[in-house]
Amino acid sequence: MSAWWVVLRKELVDAFRDRRTVLVALVVLPLAVPLILAGMSALGAKRQARQLEGTLELPVVGAEHAPNLIAWLATQDVRAMPPPADPDASVRRQERDVVLRVDPAFGADWRAGRPAGLEIVFDSSRPLQSGATVARLRALLESYDRQVGTLRLIARGVHPSIVQPLRVGHRDVATPESSFDLAQQMLPYLLLLLAFIGGMQLAVDATAGERERQSLEPLLATPASREAIISGKILATAVFTVLSLLVTLVMYRVAFAVMPAERIDTSLALPAPALARLLLVVLPVVLLGAAVLTALAAFARSHREAQGYLPLLIFVPMLPTLYLMVAPVKTQAWMLAVPFLGQNQLVLRILRGESIESWEWALSLGAGLALVALAWWLAARLYHREQLAASG
Amino acid sequence: MVRAHEDAAVIEVQALAKSFPTRDGIVRAVDCVGFTAADGGITGLLGPNGAGKTTTLRMLYTLMRPDAGRVLVDGLDPAVRPDEVRRRLGVLPDARGLYKRLTARENIAYFGRLHGLDEATIAAHTSRLVAALGMAEFIDRRTEGFSQGQRTKTAIARALVHDPRNVLLDEPTNGLDVMTTRALRQFLRGLRAEGRCVLLSSHVMQEVAALCDHVVVIAHGRVVAQGTPQELRAQTGCANLEDAFVRAIGSEEGLYS
Repeated sequence: MSAWWVVLRKELVDAFRDRRTVLVALVVLPLAVPLILAGMSALGAKRQARQLEGTLELPVVGAEHAPNLIAWLATQDVRAMPPPADPDASVRRQERDVVLRVDPAFGADWRAGRPAGLEIVFDSSRPLQSGATVARLRALLESYDRQVGTLRLIARGVHPSIVQPLRVGHRDVATPESSFDLAQQMLPYLLLLLAFIGGMQLAVDATAGERERQSLEPLLATPASREAIISGKILATAVFTVLSLLVTLVMYRVAFAVMPAERIDTSLALPAPALARLLLVVLPVVLLGAAVLTALAAFARSHREAQGYLPLLIFVPMLPTLYLMVAPVKTQAWMLAVPFLGQNQLVLRILRGESIESWEWALSLGAGLALVALAWWLAARLYHREQLAASG
Repeated sequence: MVRAHEDAAVIEVQALAKSFPTRDGIVRAVDCVGFTAADGGITGLLGPNGAGKTTTLRMLYTLMRPDAGRVLVDGLDPAVRPDEVRRRLGVLPDARGLYKRLTARENIAYFGRLHGLDEATIAAHTSRLVAALGMAEFIDRRTEGFSQGQRTKTAIARALVHDPRNVLLDEPTNGLDVMTTRALRQFLRGLRAEGRCVLLSSHVMQEVAALCDHVVVIAHGRVVAQGTPQELRAQTGCANLEDAFVRAIGSEEGLYS
């Protein structure tokens, strides 16, 4: 029996007897992640439905200047409400999402055939709250604009198509799964975060904890090489993390299966083959996390110091997600070789139901595993330091 | 019990030196230490706290590399064959923590497997050690909540599960009550009777006087005297060993702790 296998088995037995580690990794996290995502998805779908389909209660300033417009809006399920005293401030204070302001000269301009003024007051930094409403209002006003314009042209004996040189149609080529919402953007990040630091408890306990409990020195006095010992510890961490991810993804599926379909974005429910592909994509991240955490635990002087690096480790997988949010660029080959960024792209593509070429698999897995080798080497180097065990 | 071997099991230490960088400059923990621990005997490293005993032992079991001088275990240099040296040593370090979520038997078996033993050999060696150390009562309990004596016995059994010819023990009776100490001394004499080479460190005079055939007195990283207890008394002209010890190290510092 190889030493790494002996260490791997012992660390897993040890971890599974630690009720707190098991509870967090195999119960709390797998329940929390799907609930957060399913909840976000349900809320998002509900809000969108309300903004797009329900009666829109719209505060209107100067409604009396445009009674016909207000009446027409009412036929389109938009009810004009009395405006707040200071519309701009009220939107800025987030008391109202959208306010429509009618220019006092609206009536006079309208009758004179001049463009009559309307103003939509909203806060573009809160697209979730007002985006759909603003789009709906704008579409309605444009439609009214076109109707009245057409009528005026006909009244003057001009064919309306003379002012419509273009006819623009829409054809959406998105696959059914690619309609995005916030929950879908969160999933890759949560998945990568879980993969990267899900084994924190085990990895820190297996090195920093071992040293603090004074069992590292006897361990290093056995013939097992340092490389074999860290390999066992890293692999034990990885096995545990994969298990945690597997339970999480299964719970995720269950959560989306039991929720009423009309309430959620069904594009987030993963079919089983996608689940397996997701696990394969994040496998290098799992191993990288296990190796980095082990190196960190060997570098830190104590359990507490090792856990102090946690915020930094949470931040690293976030970087590509943030990058993709501000610069949602087309997937390019080099990105697949960048850790986290590549996995993030591939996870998104699996969620969208797109296929992944075999060279893309090779590039992503190869680059990931090369980095794992580097982290493993670093952990081994740190395990060879005399200070590691000889702290007393 | 001990495997036949072409040459005698010995631990040789030659002009060993080791220093550590600290905030206040370099500390020479071991300056010049040399001795030989022979087969079928108990050798004691005697010295006050901080004399360099633990560091010397750590260089023997390959946790640290010497700055100068060298050590040989059965004629093998740990710098050249570290894994083979560790295979020939049973080590009870100063740090002797157990895995609290494993039973005493599982703790021992883990180390047996790391030594490459098969399960049958581990079971046989464990049952022999359980009998010799009197561990039957707690061998299948998880080690969380063990008394100091139970912990030390488990740690010793773990260190000896591979039936090593050479046994290193750093302050083996530290923190043990009188009965456990007596039992442990009896166990160590048993190891000697089996022809093993036993090397232990201690800062307790009575311990060394009661157990050791050969005493190496260390102070400030140097060997200040060595020989049998009788020889030490003769060298220093003192009637009892404690006076001889104080005379040898030149102070009473660290003697009573």
